[in-house]
Amino acid sequence: MEQATSEAYPYVIEMLHITKEFPGIKANDDITLQLRRGEIHALLGENGAGKSTLMSVLFGLYQPEQGEIRKDGKVVQIKDPNDATALNIGMVHQHFKLVEVFTVLDNIILGAEDTKLGFIQKKEARKKVKALSEKYGLSIDMDAKVEDITVGMQQRVEILKMLYRDNDILIFDEPTAVLTPQEIEELMQIMRNLKAEGKSILFISHKLNEIMAVADRVTVLRKGKYVGTVDTANTNKEELSRMMVGRPVQLVVEKDEAKPKETVLKVEGLTVPSKLHKNDAVKNVSLEVRAGEIVCIAGIDGNGQTEFVHALTGLEKASAGKITLCGKDITKASIRKRSLTGMSHIPEDRHKHGMVLDFTLEQNLVLQRYYEPQFQNHGFIKFGAVRQYADKLIEEFDVRSGQGPITKARSMSGGNQQKAIVAREFDRNLPLIVAVQPTRGLDVGAIEYIHSQLVKQRDEGKAVLLVSLELEEVMNLSDRILVMYEGEIVGELDPKTTTAQELGLYMAGAKRQDKEVKAE
Amino acid sequence: MSYLIQQTLIYAIPLMIVALAGVFAERSGIINLALEGIMIFGAFIGVLFVHVCQKLGVFQLLPGAANWGAMQLFEILGMVAAGILGSLFALLLGFAAINLKADQTISGTALNMLAPAIVLFFVRIIANQEELRLYKGDAAEWFMIKKAMLGLGEKDGFIVNTFLNKVYLATYLCIIIFIICSIVLYKTRFGLRLRSCGENPQAADSLGINVVKMRYSGIIFSGFLAGMGGFVYALTTSNCMSNGDVAGFGFLALAVMIFGNWKPLNIALAALLFGMFKCLAAGYSSIDINGDGVKLLYELSKDPTWGKVLNPNFYRMLPYLISLLVLAFTSKKSRAPKAEGIPYDKGMR
Amino acid sequence: MKLNRFLNKDGTRSVFATLISILIGLLAGAVIILIVGLVDQKLGLNEAWKGIRLLFLGLFSKGQQAGRLLFGFNSTNIGDMLFRAVPIIMTGLSVSLAYKTGLFNIGASGQFLAGTTASLFIALKMNTAVVAPWIVWIIAFLGGILAGAFWGAIPGILKAFLNINEVLACIMTNWLAANIVTWIFEGSGLQCTEGTKTQVIWKTTHNGVATAKMGLDKLFPESQQVDGGIIIVIVIAVLVYILLTKTTLGFELKACGSNRHAARYAGIKDKRSIVLSMAIAGALAGAGASLYWLSGSTEFHWQTYLSLPGEGFTGIAVALLGACNPIANIFTGMFLSTLDVVGSKLSFYTGYNEYITDVIIAVIVYLSAFSLLIKTWLSKKFKAAEIKKIPDVVITSHGPEMAKTPPVPANTGKEGNE
Repeated sequence: MEQATSEAYPYVIEMLHITKEFPGIKANDDITLQLRRGEIHALLGENGAGKSTLMSVLFGLYQPEQGEIRKDGKVVQIKDPNDATALNIGMVHQHFKLVEVFTVLDNIILGAEDTKLGFIQKKEARKKVKALSEKYGLSIDMDAKVEDITVGMQQRVEILKMLYRDNDILIFDEPTAVLTPQEIEELMQIMRNLKAEGKSILFISHKLNEIMAVADRVTVLRKGKYVGTVDTANTNKEELSRMMVGRPVQLVVEKDEAKPKETVLKVEGLTVPSKLHKNDAVKNVSLEVRAGEIVCIAGIDGNGQTEFVHALTGLEKASAGKITLCGKDITKASIRKRSLTGMSHIPEDRHKHGMVLDFTLEQNLVLQRYYEPQFQNHGFIKFGAVRQYADKLIEEFDVRSGQGPITKARSMSGGNQQKAIVAREFDRNLPLIVAVQPTRGLDVGAIEYIHSQLVKQRDEGKAVLLVSLELEEVMNLSDRILVMYEGEIVGELDPKTTTAQELGLYMAGAKRQDKEVKAE
Repeated sequence: MSYLIQQTLIYAIPLMIVALAGVFAERSGIINLALEGIMIFGAFIGVLFVHVCQKLGVFQLLPGAANWGAMQLFEILGMVAAGILGSLFALLLGFAAINLKADQTISGTALNMLAPAIVLFFVRIIANQEELRLYKGDAAEWFMIKKAMLGLGEKDGFIVNTFLNKVYLATYLCIIIFIICSIVLYKTRFGLRLRSCGENPQAADSLGINVVKMRYSGIIFSGFLAGMGGFVYALTTSNCMSNGDVAGFGFLALAVMIFGNWKPLNIALAALLFGMFKCLAAGYSSIDINGDGVKLLYELSKDPTWGKVLNPNFYRMLPYLISLLVLAFTSKKSRAPKAEGIPYDKGMR
Repeated sequence: MKLNRFLNKDGTRSVFATLISILIGLLAGAVIILIVGLVDQKLGLNEAWKGIRLLFLGLFSKGQQAGRLLFGFNSTNIGDMLFRAVPIIMTGLSVSLAYKTGLFNIGASGQFLAGTTASLFIALKMNTAVVAPWIVWIIAFLGGILAGAFWGAIPGILKAFLNINEVLACIMTNWLAANIVTWIFEGSGLQCTEGTKTQVIWKTTHNGVATAKMGLDKLFPESQQVDGGIIIVIVIAVLVYILLTKTTLGFELKACGSNRHAARYAGIKDKRSIVLSMAIAGALAGAGASLYWLSGSTEFHWQTYLSLPGEGFTGIAVALLGACNPIANIFTGMFLSTLDVVGSKLSFYTGYNEYITDVIIAVIVYLSAFSLLIKTWLSKKFKAAEIKKIPDVVITSHGPEMAKTPPVPANTGKEGNE
């Protein structure tokens, strides 16, 4: 009887007028989301639009100030993940919640173990997991440790965790960010299978292509507010992006034809050993970057880009090869020496390398120059000069913070931290700029700003080496594209003549040019 | 040889059990630098328990008071008392680390300073000297098991002489507890959940595991084992005496834990190795390695040239030197629980 | 308004947090004294009351007459207090400097022993008939500094090159030092042969070497111990302060301590910085030992292998209580040496003993582990009275970014990414 009435109600989950505040900010402001039984419902919004907060509310990690959640039409209280699990809600988090040193099986049963006298009954668990993985086509190795398996398999483990708990409302938080195009296609198929088995899916993303491909309906959020819900059948990418950003988005960066001049950076046969396994992470890579052009290294995460940049900037040692910057051999030079020779570096991880988070903004702004005579006298820091310089950069690059130059970097927003790093690196006015994922995790406004700054630097005659994982960024910004796959440059493409599809094939290793072609 | 094995065990067993204490804390995500302090405190409580019971004549109330078996029960009670108070003492670290999200290194250091201060303060008031001993008799007289007691007086085999003569029940109890705890850690739901909290508390939390509760459990287990280990150390190596010091033994246990890569079996082996070095330091002068009646190490220490190096000072510093070398060689490979030392904050996902 | 701004300063809050820690520590001591007094028949309430008064006012104790404690200005106490502050301010500076550069120097004890050994050897072995005693003093002082720096550099090297946790390395080097020092002095022929004292080394005055009094003996005429050491210590504290806050070297060391990866990225030699930090920290602890023993007014017990010198651990309390600010360490050091004087008064005049002061010190260190919490609590208290000012966090279009901003322990290298 109970079953019958709930089957009749069209929505499995409703989040009505949810408001969640953090000190000084409304992360969710009166948001409504209704999930139909057996549909794939996308939740679209920029970084910081409030998607993750909303899902955390649904999953019991946060308590909303206002609004209610209904399951099958009845109001429910979700105070912690246990409550969510009891309501059969499961979630694949953007950063996987896996214990790396545990086996796959242990990870799946953790928190839902069947026990006898306190001892875990693994045999039964193994049977159940095996049945589930066969039913949904989720191939895994149950006895492998999570740290040893691929990201794709880790994601399948996360999905199995939900299925093992008999969840029928599945949340996927930005599931494609870490996957290769093939794995993304595979995931889409899995999601369709799950839908066919009667599961209801919430799919969080900011990638329009994927939403159009797999979702039935889309709910759009912007800056913590509800914008609207539309059927994918009745909309298009342009409309969705307008809803997401709130204005027509300039998808193409305005720039003139590049006028490359002399070679600034020359890398020959660079090889870098891997820290994780025996194979080299970077294999015999050669490239050139000339003044006045943006050269982009494209590729899927983990194909040796990080190691290549580390070897280039001196953070790691290369085992072979030669690096020439502005005509000087810097293969063996220290990091400081490279920097003084003419290399500035916007690092991949702004918290790990880019900033000293416990330092003030002004200290971070002089992090690369504190030793110059301008800022020190016989080893004593000139505080006045530092303050003046910081004020200038803050003004020029519009870095916003609570207390100006004396703000602790830790308390600044990610976008402004990145702006500060960009300001610091650009203002050094060096011939080569190495920019690694300079727009990661930023909103559209900040992305546009940083893109235009990079083009401006190019036009001023700098050589720019950009490393990016975002296809769109690669296509829009670069003058030449080098594709890196498994530590090798597998192709050089011209963004004006190539397509995203072709680029994707190179990135996935499905296509490669002859080795001789890439070196000019 | 029997002597060497017995002495090694006497040092290795407390090391092993205290290192396991460290494992329980670290696997749950808390760095327990306070092992030394908890040992000191546990040793004091155990000795005090025995001392007071002797003074009040409580043990005579036990059935068959003069019986050696009753004394063993008495010893177990001492271990339990030391363990419970050790847990309570460790809760100070747990509270600071879990509820107040304090720096675990500093709070651990604070407990290491607090334990000797409190112990010495009370020892001086109770005993009016710098150390607290048994009220009467000594540990051997009260608690040591001799083969005659087991009715094996005439037997003279290696096994009997090594493992059943002049031994303490505590040694064997500790081995059993060690095995049980290892099984708990690896085969039960509790163990799996505890370990997940030390590796990835965010994951554990997302699966409905109460990280705070698990970390408290870890620290309580840790305190119990370390406190008990402290008493066993005092009982078997320093004649049941408490003087606010275990001579860096708790720190050695930390080194054993790291050397053992946070895994029970490896820890047991590492503890045996370190126990042997400790035993060399304590009893090098009476060890007869090959059983020919010549005490080689003692002779060497008296030798005018060899004695310059192989003297008591050298043996005493050997465990610390080895620890440092071991740390140097294993640091690249060692894998500490990933989340240890980082306060868990629900907001930080 | 001015008061509010004053109360809102970070420094002011630190001072308040320190005072609260001290107060709680003293109260804990008082409570223990009271309880023990009530439980123990030998002591009783009267003795407990005496103990508590001494605990708070021991520095001004002038002895007792017919069982009644007398209080007033006592130049012996104050002079002794200043003298005993010398080594612990120095070990405190050592811990502070390391802490500010991201390292927890629990090895000050070992560095102190290294400094002790070098200084005593030089001061007692050099022939003062040939070399003027003041030159011997300087050489011994420098020797102590170098020995401390060397001993401090070892854990630094282990951390920088082999990535060994400096806390563990320091603990092991402490015990190594304790054993090595015993070994060295055993065959040194420097044991005091006067009277029945076989456990100690000659005072440096045996060879005519002693720190100059610098006029302090005039100020505190009854103190046997006070000398110019405290003045030298204050000068050193100011120098450490300048090093940390005004120089590029300090900038580099702090950057490296706060985020080793970012420092490396900025071209700072991270390994060199770590070793240098630990060496300077060791030098400070070693210098503390030199000043203490070169005073010529104390005797060194050379059989150190069973326990470590307390100066190293008290140094942790000095540093943390002063929020690792070198200038504040001068005052916290004096406070803790006051406790030391109080301890001896307690065991002299009452049935209690000096270990209660160690309990208090430990409680203070425990509290300082979460001093940040006290500071945050204080700032909330203060802010309630003030008109709303600009929040520390400026909100952009980003989500709950500030939810990710609690302090991550320094140099764990595990900073969260987005």
